[in-house]
Amino acid sequence: MRELINNANYDVVVVGAGPGGSMASYYASKNGAKTLLIEKSQEIGEPVRCAEAIPRLEDFGIIPDPQFVRNHIKGGYLIAPNGKKIEVKGGKTDGHVVERKIFDKYLAIRSARAGTKMAVKSRVVGLEHNGDGYDVIISHLGEEYTVKAKIVIAADGVESSVAEMAGLKSKKIPTQVCSCAEYEMTNVKLLDNEMMEFYFGDICPKGYAWIFPKGDTANVGLGVIDKNKKAIDYLNEFIEHPILEGRLKDATPIEFKCGGAPVGGPIEKTVDDNIMVVGDAAGQISPLSGGGIYLSMSCGSMAGEVAAKSIKNNNYSKDALIEYENRWKEKYYDILMAELKYKNVLQKLTENELNALADAMDEKLEEVDVKKIAFKAVKKAPSLLKYFKEII
Amino acid sequence: MKVNHEKCGYCGACVGVCNKLAIELVENIIVIDTEKCNDCKSCMMVCPLNALEE
Repeated sequence: MRELINNANYDVVVVGAGPGGSMASYYASKNGAKTLLIEKSQEIGEPVRCAEAIPRLEDFGIIPDPQFVRNHIKGGYLIAPNGKKIEVKGGKTDGHVVERKIFDKYLAIRSARAGTKMAVKSRVVGLEHNGDGYDVIISHLGEEYTVKAKIVIAADGVESSVAEMAGLKSKKIPTQVCSCAEYEMTNVKLLDNEMMEFYFGDICPKGYAWIFPKGDTANVGLGVIDKNKKAIDYLNEFIEHPILEGRLKDATPIEFKCGGAPVGGPIEKTVDDNIMVVGDAAGQISPLSGGGIYLSMSCGSMAGEVAAKSIKNNNYSKDALIEYENRWKEKYYDILMAELKYKNVLQKLTENELNALADAMDEKLEEVDVKKIAFKAVKKAPSLLKYFKEII
Repeated sequence: MKVNHEKCGYCGACVGVCNKLAIELVENIIVIDTEKCNDCKSCMMVCPLNALEE
């Protein structure tokens, strides 16, 4: 592997072999760019920091392969503090729960088969602009190596260090990061074997708790924003909470996962001369659900395509790479900003207000149309108007 | 800041909020550069496991 990183020259160097990085490198390679994908861990897909639910993969031309798909998902239950359940089915709720360790590796192999070279157990420790591109300094087994890249794609996840090394502001504000903890458990009694469960209220301030079916197991976790109490403490209370009606009584953990979800909306600048930022590093994650795999894969694909096009045109300046930012913003910016607004409203509601909101909602929904829900809720519970007036 | 490796789940959330680039996740070990750290405690707030200590 050393010859891949020892004074080698690449058109595109992608940092981070998560779904965003693997899609970016796949499209860069597929469209003719000489591409290196760098992963700092010795194992791709580890450690898992995620609840592992993903929407439909068909949009990416990827078949939901049984090697990584653990469960089909047909929808979810939104559960209010008083226990009222709202059933949501169809549309965006349709998807899968996957084994991320295998899924991430599958996407990396797919990229490698398109021509991407890969360096594992290789950590980027420095980025120096050399006039024509970047010198990427890599630490591998205690030795430092340098590769030259005309374009760097920073897909280094929530850690977001690579873009910052290039002078882009990608570090997140702590009050905008959801702190997550999760047990993967077996012997869980689910409400429905193909439905996700979402719990809101004081059991998990400013976030939510979840139970996602995963074949023989279920991911039981939560994401919270709280200065005083830790996610793990909320989680240990949640698994014994009466709202679960003893459904975890016989459950036992088989894995523990934790992580930070940057739910504060996208970063301001995702391109500069010779660099693009994708995925969690760019804040491309739903502020409302904390889901980021679909966005990372979609935006990563765009970054890879734009990178290859820029290489063909021999122009890797910000003026050329801005096409990536324009494309992803056109598709997702308004949605992300609207979700950010909804999240900020939702975070302010007390348990009583959440219950009032749930009581005003239909018990079965085809999709979550926030405006429609807010309008109906205010009609039934006018006290909610102070929160929802901006949305309506 | 110091990290209690017994409590750490090596998720990297702390790395993502460190404006001083003082924290790195190297494989399964959080490494804090105490020279760069300005004790802002951002990392402490986002840690899911209370693994960061003053």
